Amino acid sequence: MNPFHAIQGAMRRALSRKRMIGLYWLFHTLCAALAAVPLMGFIVPHLARSRYGEELLRQFDFMWITELLGITRDSPLTVSGAAAAAAACLAMLGSLFLAGGAVKLIVFEAVPYSPSEFWEGCGRCFWRLLRLMLYSLLFFGAVLLVDGLLNKGARKLWGEGMVEEPLVLALWFRQTLMVLLLGFVVTAMDFSKVRLVADDSRRSLRAAFGSVRFVWAHMRFFFPAWLVLGAIWLLGTWLYVQVSKRIDAVTMPSILFLIVLQQVYVVFRIALRMLSWGTAAEFEQALRPKPEEPAPVMAAVSTEPPSFEASEAEDFSI
Amino acid sequence: MIMRYLLPLLFSAGLCSGQFATPIASYDIKAILDTKTHTIAGSEVLTWVNDSPDTVPALQFHLYMNAFRNSQSTFFKESGGQLRGDKFKGDEWGWVKVNSMKIEGGADLTGAIKFIAPDDGNTEDRTVIEVTLPQPVKPHESLRIAIDFTTKTPMVFARTGFHGDFYLGGQWFPKIGVWETAGFRYSSRGAWNCHQFHANSEFFANFGDYRVELTVPSHMVVGATGEQVRRAENTLNNTTTYTFRQDSVTDFAWTVQPNYIREERMFAADQETTPEEIAAVAKLHNIPVQDVRLSDVKMIAMVQPEHREQIERHFTSLRTALKWFGLWYGHYPYKTITVVDPPYGAGGAGGMEYPTFITAGTSWRLPKRALTLEMVTVHEFGHQFWMQLVANNEFEESWLDEGFNTYSTGKVLDKAFGPSTLPVKLYDLDLWSFLKLPRFTQESVDRTAYLSGPVEDDLVRRSWEYYSSASYGLNSYMRTGVTLRTLEGLLGAGTMARVMRAYHQRWRFRHPTSRDFQKVVNEVSGRNMDWFFDQFVFGNRLLDYAVGSVSSVRQRTPMGAFEKDGSMNVVTRKDAEEIDVKNEGNKSFKQQYLCTVKIQRRGDAVAPVEAVIHFSDGSTEKRTWDGSYRWVKYTFLRNAAVDWVQIDPERKYQLDVSYANNGWQSKYNIALSTHWTGNFLFWFQNLLLWMTAIA
Ligand SMILES: [Zn+2]
Repeated sequence: MNPFHAIQGAMRRALSRKRMIGLYWLFHTLCAALAAVPLMGFIVPHLARSRYGEELLRQFDFMWITELLGITRDSPLTVSGAAAAAAACLAMLGSLFLAGGAVKLIVFEAVPYSPSEFWEGCGRCFWRLLRLMLYSLLFFGAVLLVDGLLNKGARKLWGEGMVEEPLVLALWFRQTLMVLLLGFVVTAMDFSKVRLVADDSRRSLRAAFGSVRFVWAHMRFFFPAWLVLGAIWLLGTWLYVQVSKRIDAVTMPSILFLIVLQQVYVVFRIALRMLSWGTAAEFEQALRPKPEEPAPVMAAVSTEPPSFEASEAEDFSI
Repeated sequence: MIMRYLLPLLFSAGLCSGQFATPIASYDIKAILDTKTHTIAGSEVLTWVNDSPDTVPALQFHLYMNAFRNSQSTFFKESGGQLRGDKFKGDEWGWVKVNSMKIEGGADLTGAIKFIAPDDGNTEDRTVIEVTLPQPVKPHESLRIAIDFTTKTPMVFARTGFHGDFYLGGQWFPKIGVWETAGFRYSSRGAWNCHQFHANSEFFANFGDYRVELTVPSHMVVGATGEQVRRAENTLNNTTTYTFRQDSVTDFAWTVQPNYIREERMFAADQETTPEEIAAVAKLHNIPVQDVRLSDVKMIAMVQPEHREQIERHFTSLRTALKWFGLWYGHYPYKTITVVDPPYGAGGAGGMEYPTFITAGTSWRLPKRALTLEMVTVHEFGHQFWMQLVANNEFEESWLDEGFNTYSTGKVLDKAFGPSTLPVKLYDLDLWSFLKLPRFTQESVDRTAYLSGPVEDDLVRRSWEYYSSASYGLNSYMRTGVTLRTLEGLLGAGTMARVMRAYHQRWRFRHPTSRDFQKVVNEVSGRNMDWFFDQFVFGNRLLDYAVGSVSSVRQRTPMGAFEKDGSMNVVTRKDAEEIDVKNEGNKSFKQQYLCTVKIQRRGDAVAPVEAVIHFSDGSTEKRTWDGSYRWVKYTFLRNAAVDWVQIDPERKYQLDVSYANNGWQSKYNIALSTHWTGNFLFWFQNLLLWMTAIA
């Protein structure tokens, strides 16, 4: 299995779940609205009938931001901050919840999409995915620790020196390493989600460590796939930036066009998320040795929705 | 007497253009730098002229370097050991010790030296000494004093000191205070003005002629105030002695580092300015063309090797500043200007001004559109005009140097370089430009900062008496910029330009106060602007005008009892309504509106303000309100409703803390609400997507 095949397979899996992408988009948009609406609640009255608003239509103005902060001081900002924090919590928990259904339908390709199938997966996997997320913090923490140590080392070596260049080069090195390490952890965690769902296992800790080991051992597959996915993201982002900065969003049609473009980009990012799960599912199917005795659930996969009851007590792990 | 009272007259008459100052405090210094112990062995001969009618019984000196002596100095207590974000680390403290002090060919004063703390009584502070003389200095007598001193340079964090093999010599030698006779600045009787070194304060000194012999290891590249007139190698100990001279300056600073890239360029006045530019300035100020012409200047840049590709940016900045400051306020009278780029880790030495010698600062591979290098270079150069040529007391009235310079620098930068970006990079990609984030002018930078705390203090206070060092900075720099731009708005650009040039010319090589500037403003503009100074310079009034409410009420047919031909005639409700309906259908009927516009004064500053009321039929009304009460109401009976209202349409009052409430429009700005809601939504969506990547 080469990475292109994996991504091709992932695309097939993701594209057959368009409604799920739509649901994800709706959920993220609602969470974002929870944060954005209160903020607009005190910006719009400030500007909608002010002639200053016309000047600010094209772009932000730093003067206006400090003017607004000066006038409103604490209260509205506190409300907006609280709303944003609530939105963040909701998005986090909601994403964990939705991931169960999404990964399930991506892993079990043959299962036709239905809301009940989807929500069943959400409910079933929520706690194990929550645990997995908490364990993943260990790995993310380790990455940050590595970065912190490297930074400390660089400061020690060059911090008191006479030139800035080595420090900036060290920063670039750290940035690159961080991207790679974080990419590795995210890939491994995506893989463990797929694994937990495929095995219908509850052993999140084992899945997390097992996946890190597995992804590391199969780097020649995972890394190129990650690179391709990264390149797709970069290309999409570059395209969005290039097009959006050419839109002079001052008339209603141009503003609406920009909003559509922005939402297309958001959908693109969500689809990319599905694509990385799909890639993990492809690798899981192709590379992971299957248990000696096929479990009933695995047999069921190809023909009909899995019946999970039988496997509740058992774990399938490497 | 003649000296004190005649000279100002000469200056005011403009006869002195191009002339230098009368030296009051001149120094002949020999200094040897020991890079092993980071010390300077120095001896100076000070020639001090008592140009007052007073008999002066004692002398006072600044020992600035003692600010870095220990944690008990006033500087350290006030600053907490950090300035402008640079922190004092380690144990390389700094001090200056006067080994001996003698009147040349006369009495030894060493034993008479005592430390004083005129500002705060801190007995641990050693930044000012007083020496009682055996015989007082008589009026117009001069005195030559030989001082032997040792200076230990500190680790650089606040302007002066060393970092590795880089040295910046600032505030490094014993320096006499300023004798202020009655009538000089704010003085009502003869006294020394010799403040301690404070965290937020800069300096004050008389003009004088400087000759400095600097002996440093031969491998060092050297730069300093003035012109290098001699260079002699001492082969015995591998050192070189450089002699620098500069007349008519208030201070002397130098720098050494072995690996500076030192380059020179000429500012050729005739090539840098066009005859049209010269003629325009001459016309504006009504002065002869030859008074506008600039002079040639040798520009010297001392740049770090890692900033090699930015050398020309230093020269371009100097060139631009020499041109515009020169054209606007009067030519730069010195022969050299040196800009120093301190190495990484010595940022505390950057962004500082000394006579004919400034320090800038940049970063590795600074993006082209991020104009921080240009900003700092033009700003520090600007101090040659505001601080050096017009030498106000920086301790007491920092707005006259930092603020005037912020105003002038902003004008130069916005005119010559255009709006800037911030140096935000992803690897070497200029992210700010790539994302097309908003660029900003210096004018908007100043107002942005001003709005963060518009009236914490009076604009003018002694620098250590502001609420906080942030307030010192805000008032001395940005709020002054905004205040002077407001003054410009009120006076008009041409008048303001004449005010600034007149003030500069009148006070060139002298020591003005805020009141002197106020006088020039009133005189040149022919208006009494005291109300402005009282509220915004010597006061802390908040300026905020706002459109309070706007209504346009359609006029209905009057109903009720009306006297007609001696009897009461009642127009019933029904009759009136019927007439209204008929009128509505009648195209030739002109509907009337009772338009009411209320304007509020929400701040405590009172200033005359203009308002424009625009009606939907395209007609416009203009009103000027003195702002005396809290609000004013304007009513109009028109055939059209109010379309929009704008207070201060020309934005004269940059000091107004809200531009948003200065305008009102009948049309709800749906585009803005849609655009920004869309943007916020998008940004939050992306933020959440990043965050939930771990879910
Ligand atoms: Zn300055």
